[in-house]
Amino acid sequence: MSQKVSALLDGQLAPGEVKDALTETASDAALRDRYTIYGLIGDVLRGNSTPDDAYSARIFERMKREGSRIEPGFDPLRDE
Amino acid sequence: MAESDPDVELVRLAQANDARAFEALVVKYQRRVARHVARYLKSAADVEDAVQETFIRAYRGLAAFRGDSAFYTWLYRIAANVAIRHLKRQPQHLLLGDDAPEERVDAFEPGVSDSEQPERTLIAAQIADTVQRALAKLQPDLAEALLLYEVESKPYAEIATMLGIPIGTVRTRIFRAREFIARRLEPVLGPQRNRRW
Repeated sequence: MSQKVSALLDGQLAPGEVKDALTETASDAALRDRYTIYGLIGDVLRGNSTPDDAYSARIFERMKREGSRIEPGFDPLRDE
Repeated sequence: MAESDPDVELVRLAQANDARAFEALVVKYQRRVARHVARYLKSAADVEDAVQETFIRAYRGLAAFRGDSAFYTWLYRIAANVAIRHLKRQPQHLLLGDDAPEERVDAFEPGVSDSEQPERTLIAAQIADTVQRALAKLQPDLAEALLLYEVESKPYAEIATMLGIPIGTVRTRIFRAREFIARRLEPVLGPQRNRRW
């Protein structure tokens, strides 16, 4: 399954495989970890020195706290 | 959607309210967005806030993303706008033309001040060192495939042509290379395991 996670990261799965891969990855801590580490390796190889900040956890917490949702008509490139 | 966009399917699912798909995009691009906004913002707190705001604005505006560009290109533009807005809210960080004090010029230099976060800098150095050491020990054909993809930004199909191998072999080699390095990174990343996405 880790090979599918690697392909998921690179957008190399067939459209019909992506949803299943997401389901498996999201429900398995070890696979979620792999997805993150594989991405981190790429960033390091591209010269982006990083302490592997867990921005994502705090982003998801804030989205939950603020009740973020998709808003038809909202243009993220415009000032509010 | 842009034909070469590797995120096309994740974006489609996210637009259809699959939160996991958007989370996968956040995890994938969080560090690149942080790196981008750090070119504009100096403090770690400002970078953190700008990263969060970038992804939240992208999520709220997902319906507006038509795929005319790659998803990351769109995200990159949002991040730049967010960072510039942060600067406008903090006049002391603005470049003020020829009258700008010399010390303000570094507001546009990449990277958050090292002195602000020595521990983070040390961990980053350990991660980079571990990846480079693992890469040096990696089987050459695996390292070649990984570097062509991650560093040279070659698509899988082009790597397959360049190396004269089936695309499935490219996929396997990149996976095996990542796995080899990941196993050596685990001890360095230990305390954070299972706290990521």
